Amino acid sequence: MPDTILVVVEQREGKLNRVSFETLTAAQAMTAETGWTLEAAVIGSNIDSVAQEIAKVKVAKVFAIESPQLERYTADAYVGALKQFISTKQPKLVLMPHTYQVRDFAPQLAASLGRTLISDAIGYRKDGAKIVFTRQMFQGKFAADVSFACDPPHFATFQAGSFRGDKVEIGASAAPIEKVAAQVDATSIRVKPLDIFKEAKQAVDLTQAEIIVSVGRGIKEQKNIEIAKALADALGGEIAASRPICDSGWLPMDRQIGSSGQTVAPKLYLALGISGAIQHIVGMKGARSVVAINKDAEAPIFEIADFGVVGNLFDIVPVLTEEVKKAKAGQ
Amino acid sequence: MIFRTPLSNIDRPQMEADVVIVGGGPAGMACALRLSQLIDAHNSRNAESPLSKENIYVLEKAREVGQHCLSGALLDPRSMRELLPGFEKDAPLDAEVGKEAVYFLTEKSKFKFPITPPPMRDHGNYVISINKFVKWLGEKVEQAGITVFTGFAGSELLVEDNRVIGVRTDDKGVDRQNQPKSNFEPGYDLKAKITILCEGPRGSLTKQLIGRFNLDKNRNPQTYGVGVKELWELPPDRIAPGEVIYTLGWPLTTHEYGGAWIYGSKDNIVSLGFVTGLDYKDPRLDPHHVMQTFKTHPFVRELLDGGKMIRYGAKSLPYGGWFAIPPLAGDGWMITGDSAGFLNSQRLKGIHLAIKSGMLAAETAYEALVDGNFSAHQLGSYQNRVEKSWIREELWKVRNFHQGFEKGMIEGMFHTAVQQITLGRGLHDRYAAHAGHKRLEHIGSLPAGGYGREQLLGPAKGNGKLTFDKLTDVYHSGTKHEEDQPIHLVIHDTDICNTRCTVEYGNPCQHFCPAKVYEMVEASDVPAGKQIQVNFANCVHCKTCDIMDPYQIITWVPPEGGGGPNYDGM
Repeated sequence: MPDTILVVVEQREGKLNRVSFETLTAAQAMTAETGWTLEAAVIGSNIDSVAQEIAKVKVAKVFAIESPQLERYTADAYVGALKQFISTKQPKLVLMPHTYQVRDFAPQLAASLGRTLISDAIGYRKDGAKIVFTRQMFQGKFAADVSFACDPPHFATFQAGSFRGDKVEIGASAAPIEKVAAQVDATSIRVKPLDIFKEAKQAVDLTQAEIIVSVGRGIKEQKNIEIAKALADALGGEIAASRPICDSGWLPMDRQIGSSGQTVAPKLYLALGISGAIQHIVGMKGARSVVAINKDAEAPIFEIADFGVVGNLFDIVPVLTEEVKKAKAGQ
Repeated sequence: MIFRTPLSNIDRPQMEADVVIVGGGPAGMACALRLSQLIDAHNSRNAESPLSKENIYVLEKAREVGQHCLSGALLDPRSMRELLPGFEKDAPLDAEVGKEAVYFLTEKSKFKFPITPPPMRDHGNYVISINKFVKWLGEKVEQAGITVFTGFAGSELLVEDNRVIGVRTDDKGVDRQNQPKSNFEPGYDLKAKITILCEGPRGSLTKQLIGRFNLDKNRNPQTYGVGVKELWELPPDRIAPGEVIYTLGWPLTTHEYGGAWIYGSKDNIVSLGFVTGLDYKDPRLDPHHVMQTFKTHPFVRELLDGGKMIRYGAKSLPYGGWFAIPPLAGDGWMITGDSAGFLNSQRLKGIHLAIKSGMLAAETAYEALVDGNFSAHQLGSYQNRVEKSWIREELWKVRNFHQGFEKGMIEGMFHTAVQQITLGRGLHDRYAAHAGHKRLEHIGSLPAGGYGREQLLGPAKGNGKLTFDKLTDVYHSGTKHEEDQPIHLVIHDTDICNTRCTVEYGNPCQHFCPAKVYEMVEASDVPAGKQIQVNFANCVHCKTCDIMDPYQIITWVPPEGGGGPNYDGM
C-alpha cells in the first residue's frame, strides 16, 4: 500500500470551514510531488453533506468518521475517534488547518500517539524523502525549516491564508465515501459542552471574510465609520480597522487587523485612510488584491497596494459605494 | 485613561523567602550565582548546619531570561574572571576586540583621533550580545538550583516599620479598566529577609525606595542617556569581528552630549547605536531621529550599504557617576548594578560593575544568612565592600567626568583634560550636576526653525532601507504586551499634558520616547485641540519617559509580567 496523506477537514454543525480547502490544496500539491495518496476525513455526526462536498475535490477517498458522541465538539471525543482511526489507517502524514478547534485537540492527539506536531506552518518543500515545513519566527521576520525526526504518522497544521483554497483541484468524478463508526466511550469525555451561543456583540471571524473594508486614522471621527460600513455592506464584506480605531473604541477589538489583532487573507482588502505601518501590513499582506485610498501619496500602504488612489476618502468612498450598488443592481 | 495600580482589598498569596533578587540581568544573575557558590562552599564545610538555596528567588519581568537586556555590548572580563575563572571557554563571547578607532564627525567628513584615548581602549574586552550572555548566566543560576521566576515583575516594595520586608509581584489578568478578568491571578507577596534590587537603570522599585527613604539626599541627581540600537546584517567583510568604532560630534551639535558605537560581531552582524544624553535643551529633540540621521553620514551609509536591519531596541543608562550613587543598603535591602548607578560614563561600560556589585551584595547576603541578621548595620557591610573594591577605584577616577560636560562639549573636553592630570578631581572636589529634565527649555524661547538642528528634531521619516520611522523600528524590537490591561505608563495628571505641557514644551514625550508610546491626537473637547494618547503596547521598557518628562508626572511601572521587548540576539 502506498503512503497516504490524510487531511482532516473541519466542520461545525454540519457546515464546512472553508479553510479546509487550503489544506486540501497543500496536500494535493504534496501528493503530486511525492506520489503519495490523498485521503480526507470528516469527523462529527450527521456529516453526509460535508462528506459529499469534500468528495467533489480530487481525493482518493473520503472517510466520514461518525458517532453520536461527536455531535458537539469536545477535544476528548475528537482525540479518541481520530486516534483509533489513525492507528488503524497508519497514514504517513496527517494535515489539518490551524484553526482554534485544531489548536485545541491536535497537540493531545499527537501526544496520545507519541508523535510530534508541527503547528502553524506556512509552507513546505520536499527535501529528498523528507517533507520540510516552514514556520514563522520573530513575528514573521524569519522563517524556520522544521522536519520530523520521529516515525510516522506525522502531524502538521497550516496557517490560514498559506495556500489558495480556491485553487483546490476538483475530481473528475466524486470520490467514494466510506463511513466509519467511531467507538467513543461517553465516560472518556471530561467536558460537557453547553449550548453554542454567539457573543451578544456578534463576534466576527474576519479570517473567513472574502471582502474586507478596513479603516484607519484617516477616517477622523467615529461617525465617519458609517461611510466605510456602507461600502462594506454594498460589497457584501466585513468592516475592519487598524489599531488606532480599535484603541479609541470606535470598533471592537475583534475587528482589528495587524500584529496585535487578526491576520487575514481576503480576496479583496480595501484600506481607507490607513498609512500602512508594518504592524498593520503583517496582518493583511496575504490579501489577494489590496486597494488603498489615502491622502498621503507617500503612505507605505501604496507599496503593497495593487490599486492605489491618492485622494480624500470622504470624496471617493461615497461615490464608490453608489457605483458598487449600481453595478450590483445591474447584474 | 485608566492606569495600572495594584488592586486593593484582595487576598494575596504569601510566600516566605530568604533572598529575593529583583531583576535577572547581569547584576541579578551574578548575585544569585555568587550566593549559590558561597552556600555550596559553606555546606561542604558545615555539613551539620547547611544553608538552603530553596528560598532564594530571582524575579524577571521578561518572558524569558535576557529578553529585556539591551547594551552595545562590550564586556570587560574583570569581574567575570572573579565569578567564574576560565569563563571564556564556556561563555557566548562573539569576538575579542582587535581593532579600535575614535572619530569626530562633521556632516560630511570624519576625523580620526590620532591615538585612541586610554578610556576607549578596548583590547582584551569582548564583543558580546548581552541577551545571549545573560541567558547563559541564567542557565548557570538555574543549574545551581536557584529558582528564576520569568514573567514576574516586582510591582511594589513591601515596607513595614521602615524595613523592607519583601516584594509584591504584578497582578495578572487585569483588564484595561483595572478590573479582574476571568484569568485573574493576584500578585504574590514575597516576604523576604533580604531584597536585592537589580532592576537596571531607573528601577521602579528602586525609585520607590529612594523616594520613601530620601536616599537622594546629599547626592548629585542621577543623570541619564538613552541608547538607541539597531542590529544589522552586512555583506561579508565589511567590518572585522572585534572591530570597535566610537564617534563623537555630528549629528549632535557641541551642546548635546552623546555619541555612537559600532561593534563588529561574528557572522557579519554589526551592532550600532547612538547614545543621546538626556540633558538636552530642545524639547523637540528625538533620540530615535538622532540615530537615524547618524546612519546617513557618508561613513556609516557606506558601511551599511546593502545590509539589512534585523533588530531594534532602546534603553536608558545612568551617567551620574560616583556622586549620584545612593546609599547602597539598609534594613532588609541592597541596590546593585545600573539601579544604583554603577556605570563608568567615560568608558561607557557598566556590565562588569553590575556583575561585581551583584557579587559583593551576594557576599553580604551570605554573611547575613549565616548570622541571621538582616539589619541596616549588617547589610551596610555591602557599602564597605564596594568602597574597598575596584568599583570605587574605577569610578573615583571619573567621578566628575559627565558633570564636566554640562555646558557643552568644548568645556567638557577641557574639564576632562584637567581631570586627567588631577586623578579625576578637575577644578572642583565635587562637580555639581542637574537633573536632565530640568534643562529642557520652553519652546517659546527657542527658534521656531531647526537652527542647525533639523537633523535632530521631530520624527524621523525613514526611507525603509537605511533609515526607518519609529513604528517600523518598534516592530523590530519584537515588543508585545497583553492588550487588555491598564496603561502601565502612569501619568499622574493628564491635564498638564493637554494644556500646560502643550504650550510650554510642545509635549516632548512624543519625541523622547523611542517607541512611539506617546501621541497627541486630535480631540475636540480640549482647548489645544489635541490630547495625549498612550500606546502602552509599544513600550520597550527603556524608562526614558520616567526620566525626561519635564513635570515628573510619568511613573513607569511594570506591565503584566511577560510583556515587553524581545531582545533575542541583541
